[in-house]
Amino acid sequence: MPESLEILLRSLALFLLVFLVVRLMGKKHPAKMTPFTFVVYSVVAVIAALTALKVIENFILGLLALAVWTLIPLALDYLAARSKVVHDLLHGKETVLIKQGKIMEDNLKQARLTAEELLRDLRVKDVFNVADVEFAVLEATGDVNVLLKSDKKPITPHHMEWKVLPRTEPQTVIMDGNIINEGLTNMGLNHRWLEEELEKAGVALENVFVGQVDSSGEMYLDLFDDAVQLPQPKVRELLYGGLEKAQADLTKYALEVEGEEAKNMYAGNAEKLNQLLQKLRPFLLR
Amino acid sequence: MTVGSQLKQTLAVLKGVRGTLRIYANQAQEEEAKKAYGEGLEELKAIIGDLEERLGALEMAEPQYKGS
Repeated sequence: MPESLEILLRSLALFLLVFLVVRLMGKKHPAKMTPFTFVVYSVVAVIAALTALKVIENFILGLLALAVWTLIPLALDYLAARSKVVHDLLHGKETVLIKQGKIMEDNLKQARLTAEELLRDLRVKDVFNVADVEFAVLEATGDVNVLLKSDKKPITPHHMEWKVLPRTEPQTVIMDGNIINEGLTNMGLNHRWLEEELEKAGVALENVFVGQVDSSGEMYLDLFDDAVQLPQPKVRELLYGGLEKAQADLTKYALEVEGEEAKNMYAGNAEKLNQLLQKLRPFLLR
Repeated sequence: MTVGSQLKQTLAVLKGVRGTLRIYANQAQEEEAKKAYGEGLEELKAIIGDLEERLGALEMAEPQYKGS
């Protein structure tokens, strides 16, 4: 067999093999790898390259080494998922860098992290004041994660005691002018509905680049022609406005009308509408 | 504009809202939203009922404004 053909065959076989092996090893992001995983991936890559280029003459020996370097990490991963001890041994443990607002200098030294680096890592997390930090931990991947003091945390609807609507993920129903059936069925909608919505918006299906339906059933359309201005769905705001107007009207009638009974009826209904507005506010305005 | 026609306008707005709410109640994906829309719909129906009754009384009292 000529040399070139042999290298071609070896390369092809290893390409497929390594592709499968990497797939098998899971979805770890290269930047988030612990040192151990990094070493494993590197060794797999090097063995594959050396075998493909016939630096390792015997193909079988190359495969053998590759098998060891893929199967043992897989087995260890399996064990690590079941035992915390194995996991910590393999991937290292997280180190507490700041506790109760105080920097743990010993731990810092142990992790070979300088004060400079700690401050930089904090800044990456948008923390410029060490005083704002309650707790910080150095993960095994080298990331620093920060828990801010409770008065420095961003305000959430929870803090404000606001009621917000749970929103499920939007579904893409049109892509590149094609209907995505999966998105439609996930939403419980059909082609007829989509045709109607497109007609309402006054666009043809071919002109839509992306169409997404949010959890309340409103569709957002992005067209190929960016010069076309599409009115964004405003039905909710209009609905809320209509209710508000009706509520104001009823209050006015209650003031104007003569006769106790009619007055009470208007005032009572105005109050009911008011409560309805309060109730629907989180759903309609957001 | 007479009281009667003003009331009719308000009623028209409310009925429009009722229709949209009904669509939302059917379309909403989250249980919570579905419930809120459904309850809103029921309340709105009661209010519309009250107002229609009042409109009827107005038209009886002042038949010259009927249909305006």
